[in-house]
Amino acid sequence: MKTEINKVRNIGISAHIDSGKTTLTERILFYTKRIHTIHDVKGKDGVGATMDSMELEKERGITIASAATYCEWRGHQINIIDTPGHVDFTIEVERSLRVLDGAILVLCAVGGVQSQSITVDQQMKRYKVPCIAFVNKCDRSGANPVRVIKQLREKLGHNAVAMQLPIGLEADLEGVVDLVEMKALYFDGPNGETVRSEEIPAHLRDQAQESREALVDAASMFSDELMEAALEEAVTPALLSAAVRKGVQTREITPVFMGSAYKNKAVQPLLDAVNQYLPCPMDVQNEALNTENDETPVILSNDPNGPVVALAFKLEDGQYGQLTYIRVYQGTLSKGASVVNTRTGKKLKIGRLVRMHANQMEDIEAIQAGFIGALFGVDCASGDTFTAPGLNLSMTSMFVPNPVISLAIVPKDNKSQINMSKALNRFSKEDPTFRAFVDEETNETIIEGMGELHLDVYVERMRREYNAEVTTGQPRVAYRETITRRADFNYTHKKQTGGSGQYGRIAGYIEPFADEDFVFENKVTGGSIPTQFIPACEKGFKGCMAKGPKMEFPVTGVKVVINDGASHSVDSSEMAFQAAARGAFHEAYGKAQPVILEPIMKVVVESPTEFQGGVMGSLNQRRGMIVGAQDEGPMCVIEAQVPLSEMFGYSTVLRSSTQGKAQFTMEFSTYRQVPQSITEELVKKAADNKKHVA
Amino acid sequence: MERFEIYRCGDIEHPPRPKVAFADRRRVIYIKERNFNMLKRDLILRNPLRLMGHETDDILPPGGFGAVLARAGVGKTALLVQLALNSLLRGRNVLHISLRDPVKKVCLWYEEVFRNIATHYKVSQMDQLWDAILPYRFIMTFNIEDFSVTKLEKRIADLTEQDIFMPQMVLFDGYPFDGAVFEPLAELKTLTRTNSYHTWFSVRTHRHEEPAPDGFPPVFSPVASLFEVAIRLQPQNDGVYIQALKGGNAGDKTPKLFLDPATMLIRDAA
Repeated sequence: MKTEINKVRNIGISAHIDSGKTTLTERILFYTKRIHTIHDVKGKDGVGATMDSMELEKERGITIASAATYCEWRGHQINIIDTPGHVDFTIEVERSLRVLDGAILVLCAVGGVQSQSITVDQQMKRYKVPCIAFVNKCDRSGANPVRVIKQLREKLGHNAVAMQLPIGLEADLEGVVDLVEMKALYFDGPNGETVRSEEIPAHLRDQAQESREALVDAASMFSDELMEAALEEAVTPALLSAAVRKGVQTREITPVFMGSAYKNKAVQPLLDAVNQYLPCPMDVQNEALNTENDETPVILSNDPNGPVVALAFKLEDGQYGQLTYIRVYQGTLSKGASVVNTRTGKKLKIGRLVRMHANQMEDIEAIQAGFIGALFGVDCASGDTFTAPGLNLSMTSMFVPNPVISLAIVPKDNKSQINMSKALNRFSKEDPTFRAFVDEETNETIIEGMGELHLDVYVERMRREYNAEVTTGQPRVAYRETITRRADFNYTHKKQTGGSGQYGRIAGYIEPFADEDFVFENKVTGGSIPTQFIPACEKGFKGCMAKGPKMEFPVTGVKVVINDGASHSVDSSEMAFQAAARGAFHEAYGKAQPVILEPIMKVVVESPTEFQGGVMGSLNQRRGMIVGAQDEGPMCVIEAQVPLSEMFGYSTVLRSSTQGKAQFTMEFSTYRQVPQSITEELVKKAADNKKHVA
Repeated sequence: MERFEIYRCGDIEHPPRPKVAFADRRRVIYIKERNFNMLKRDLILRNPLRLMGHETDDILPPGGFGAVLARAGVGKTALLVQLALNSLLRGRNVLHISLRDPVKKVCLWYEEVFRNIATHYKVSQMDQLWDAILPYRFIMTFNIEDFSVTKLEKRIADLTEQDIFMPQMVLFDGYPFDGAVFEPLAELKTLTRTNSYHTWFSVRTHRHEEPAPDGFPPVFSPVASLFEVAIRLQPQNDGVYIQALKGGNAGDKTPKLFLDPATMLIRDAA
């Protein structure tokens, strides 16, 4: 393994569906000699592209899982990490973006900046990932890289500047003009593997000169040296690329490259650009969270000799067990070393270390800071941090939001049932926001997640990857119950029907408590309830929280205080006090004005301005509270808070009311009280269901 | 059994109530709500803006224009947001139009000022109160170069026609007063009058400019006739004083109010 860290690039390739991301990756692997033949995505040979391990992604138009692959180009080691682009997979997105140091934003020369490019770009902005752009498909009819650059500036707000000019366009695409070296590049051979450098064709000279001046202008903002050289008309390619590199690292400039991956044009110059302009791990400052000190950020040193900090960012089920992709941020992870999993606190020994290339692997001895590799035979979940013993650092926040939506699934046959449980086990390890359990009452398997699409994708993956056919029920919203005022209780549990009697009296009150789900406080003095029975009281109260007396939803935000009671020397027992606590809770709950809470989602719709009224109307109809509308030229962004229960099927409604031109993202925001009229509806529905079951 | 729990009071709209099983519903007391309304009223009563010498709580007459003038960074937005919060607490719809900041940033302004007010007056049910006033607010943002009165009218029509939001107070933050603005402002004034909005503007003045002959800052002087009320934020040693330039107690030389520099909240100068 290479040890020079400045020759390592950990990059992602982000793109709108169908802008040719897979084809580009395939070509990159071919030119870097990681693969020896090219298989097209929809190729006739039936092999398919190397990175494209999940069919589902193509069908849905979203990238779900991120595969990591490794290649070498001109002495540099490039790790390519695939990134998902949908907001429903927030955790997955966060993880893969953490691992990247830079990215290639692939755009279609015909389609330009499309809605998903916007989402992907926003994510990169959020995580401050430096990027270069590649305008692909310049061979297609209607290709117009100049328009795409304009859109990059207008729609995404990038300081986009062309680094190349196309020589010919559409079917006549021959090559590109490199504006830094001022050379024309052509790509010969059956697969474009030979790069031929020549003088710029005469008809393009003026245009090339003009574009170069624009490039020097833009780049001179980042280098005084270049500025001076420009004034003296002595700009050298080295000066120019150094200035662009500086601008890219701070995300202040986006160099735009162009070509056609499918026609094997200009992929090699893009690889050169990755080496030249995107940062190496040393250039990027990484932060970990100190779990001992309220998750305060700690800056990691990138030092290969420091104590180890590594992040498991992806799990995969291989033939030989679980494969865990990791990135090392500090120190060196070597075979045989002992590390601690920060989440579980468990110590483990590193067995096998491998380097991955799509589906093949090679064994290695150690992984240094800045590098990506994989572990074998380590039991962990995705997002876990491994550190040297004694360090209490975590790369990702330990905070995992509670799921807001659930779905009952039933396997079609016995075989599916076995496969389903395998799949659920895997998924819940991979994604902390995905949960699965068996409902004790209905005996149904319930899966829970962060949105409709989130669950849909997992159901689909079960079908494809695990061959588990399941039928799904209606999605259910995770309602909660809480109380809104203080209420006293004084309950005596007394039973004397043969055998030993039961006796326990508990008095106190319950009150709303905003910060935690359940708090128990013991203010009993003088031993009116003997100390040994206090835990039983707490247990009794806590047991009531799982199912609220009002609608059988989980109860949250309750503080229970006990301050008096009575016991009997013979008849009092733990069981008696637990029963007394249950009785007391039910007695007080009704008086404490219980209410139902529902999950409220933050919905952001991006739509052309002409549909703004309609979109706001559609949100309003869904009990949405519109927070604001932001006018951004031809597009507008509407932000609203809408109950999750009203959002089912919204994507279809939005699409049909905006001719498919609007898109929306949705994430959990808070829990809020359900209006009275809806509560009544819920009560009625629950009663109907009960009748139905009976 | 006689139960005195609940009865409704206050002028704020309530969600539908559960049915009460005993005879005289007028005697029902909703204690939680009563506390809540008292809290709101309390905050309104304590609002020092009342010291500005205006007859109504709105300060502006319906269809009127008000201006908050100050140099950059003195606290125009903070004052506007307090005017807005005062209206929100009274259950009046506020449309906040920003020509400078994105929606997110405007939201942050409100959260910040509200939190300061709530902490200052030791409001215990901060979250509930915040949730209760939020539906009365609507934020719109425009790019300065794309903004036009016709566009705004269209946007407002989108809201009112579908009964999504009926503005009663309109705030303009970041409206450019440099250049020829009389005509568009006159158009806005017509819109405001027709719909009886109470409209406030933040007006950015410049540091080293002599006042115009009428005593107003030069950026404001050409359009001053359109405004019923103008107040100026004047930084002095220990804080930012609020002076009435037009309307209210404009003749009064000693300012009665100032902005606390730490929290940007309006305080009684006395």
